[in-house]
Amino acid sequence: MKTLSKVLLAVAVLLLGVFQCGGAFAETVKVGVLLPLTGAQAKFGEIERRSYEMAAEEINAKGGVNGKKIELLFEDDTGKPDVGRSGVEKLISREKVPVITGGYSSSVTAASAPVAQQFKVPFVICTGSADDITEKGYDYVFRINQVASEYPNAVESFLKEVAKDVKTVALLYENSAFGQSSSKSFEGDANRLGLKIVVKEGYQAGAIDFKPILTKVKAANPDMVYMVSYVMDASLLMRQSKELRINPKMFVGGGAGFTLPEFAKSAGDAADGVFSATLWIETLPFPGAKEYFNKFKKKFGSDTEYHGAEAYAAMYVVADALKRAKSITPKDVRDALAKTDMKTAFGPVKFVSYGKKTQQNKLDTYLVQWRKGELNAVWPKSAATMKYIYPTPPWDKRK
Amino acid sequence: MDVFLQTLVAGVLKGGLYALIGIGMTLIMGVMGIINLAHGQLMMLAMYVTFVLNTTGVDPYFSLFVAMPLLFLLGVSIQKFLLNPLIKADTILPENQVLMTVGIGMVLTEIIRFIFSSDYKYITSTYSNQTFFLGNISFSMALTIAFGIAITFTVAMFFFLIKTDLGRSIRATAQDKDAATLMGVNTGRITVITFGMGAGLVAAAGVLLAPVYYIFPDLGGPFTAKAFIITILGGLGSTVGAIFGGVTLGLAESMGATYFGMEYEDIIGLTIFVLVLLFLPGGFKRLTKV
Repeated sequence: MKTLSKVLLAVAVLLLGVFQCGGAFAETVKVGVLLPLTGAQAKFGEIERRSYEMAAEEINAKGGVNGKKIELLFEDDTGKPDVGRSGVEKLISREKVPVITGGYSSSVTAASAPVAQQFKVPFVICTGSADDITEKGYDYVFRINQVASEYPNAVESFLKEVAKDVKTVALLYENSAFGQSSSKSFEGDANRLGLKIVVKEGYQAGAIDFKPILTKVKAANPDMVYMVSYVMDASLLMRQSKELRINPKMFVGGGAGFTLPEFAKSAGDAADGVFSATLWIETLPFPGAKEYFNKFKKKFGSDTEYHGAEAYAAMYVVADALKRAKSITPKDVRDALAKTDMKTAFGPVKFVSYGKKTQQNKLDTYLVQWRKGELNAVWPKSAATMKYIYPTPPWDKRK
Repeated sequence: MDVFLQTLVAGVLKGGLYALIGIGMTLIMGVMGIINLAHGQLMMLAMYVTFVLNTTGVDPYFSLFVAMPLLFLLGVSIQKFLLNPLIKADTILPENQVLMTVGIGMVLTEIIRFIFSSDYKYITSTYSNQTFFLGNISFSMALTIAFGIAITFTVAMFFFLIKTDLGRSIRATAQDKDAATLMGVNTGRITVITFGMGAGLVAAAGVLLAPVYYIFPDLGGPFTAKAFIITILGGLGSTVGAIFGGVTLGLAESMGATYFGMEYEDIIGLTIFVLVLLFLPGGFKRLTKV
């Protein structure tokens, strides 16, 4: 009996010790992060989670938020809007986080943002890019990345200044919130530039065979093919374009899949010469951009890309706001976020209102081109690290 | 005209592969009355086998000889150790076996995710990007080879079921399990073999698809759905029906994509599925009588 009570006492002391330890570290600031950690989008969720963690570690190593450590609480949205909603609800009501960040797919982000708004907890979106998310007048929703409709801005200026002989366009897009939003805005741009859209086709992401729509593209013989696709659809589209020998003056990807290393590896030589609009590439002249890329590669031994940079920057923006906030309450953090003006590895961040959008960061987009499995910025000239090849040579004339 | 012919070719080539995916499921459904909802996941597994072999330099098509036996064994063990015990259990839910397959599918997906992560994998073989032209119509080399192998397997399967003793036993079990047992067929063994064969066939489909598609853990679900549609189109348990079902689905998807819009691909497949259920409840089996 005596030994039992001794053991109990020991356990009690141990427990107490643990609690005290907990007490010592209790000075943390919780930050909720909503990301797809499982499901079909998990790959990008993973890149973003690692970038968030890496940024948080760096910030904590430098003293955290005014002496308090940042504690990240990840919520898995599994790529489904309803799960994302309940994830945000959980972060707010159970974990009482003062700020939420993340938000990968447009549909999940669009469904989750109203929840944050309703509970008046600031939500700093890093990736979800459908236009209307920041067009609803939410005052607790901020967005760091460019909106989908602005992805083609660099393409537009390239068409105006270099590819002046492009007159007809084929537009292919995946049938998702992101794809539709992007294609609609590209249509507007094309009309403004006086381009004729000869083929416009949506497709179901994950298809095996794109020949039906590509055959139509071939029959229409456009000067340019513009595609909004995720990575593996993108690679299949290019492989099958090569199979069918579709020869426009330029193939352009509207962001998303066309800039990932997997695209070039999977598409092989079919990727050569493909242009893509992109939001970020590590060679951009932003302080810390290249450093982020190198650190990530060194730490995790795998590639990162603009999604990761968005997440990395989002963490710094949130930490910056937390540091400046009068107190760590959702209201004060929100007010601090609204006054954000800082430089990040992803570019300058400042939340402004323009058009119908509110609290939206305004950034340039860039045009990149693949050459022999390597991606380089080619437009605008100020950011170019390589001269563009235009027009792309026809398939049967290539080496 | 070129557009039509190209669509036709694309649809038929894809349909051949679909047939091979569907035939395994139709076999299992016909013999055991189990809707194997882990079918696509088994295919995914075969694709990973192909991928792993490919990283060591093995030609994707050669993986047929590894992936098929492996998946056959896996199918046999699933039936023997996971599904058969459920037949004996007396529960209120006769669908227990179907639920079990859902669980197996999830477990397989997550195990693969655990090992390989969610990254997309792909196999770049010399023929992944190759094409040949007949007139203006392009044929994808890999899909054409896949179509040839798929048809060979399907025809072989058909003759196996018609001509051999084992095939006859399988058909007998499919028609009436009790009667077959009374006639001296070891139906327990037959169900085990059938599940193995179903898994082996869908493994073949996975290997053939691997060079032209990409590989990730969640790929199973959509293909389970496709296999299910094909099985219903063809009529349960009919191999010939599965060929027709597969080619019909492939053609419908391609034609629909060309003439309605590719975003409606899934809608078109499922509409045909509903129409067949409404107007031809037995599927194409009713028409072929085999």
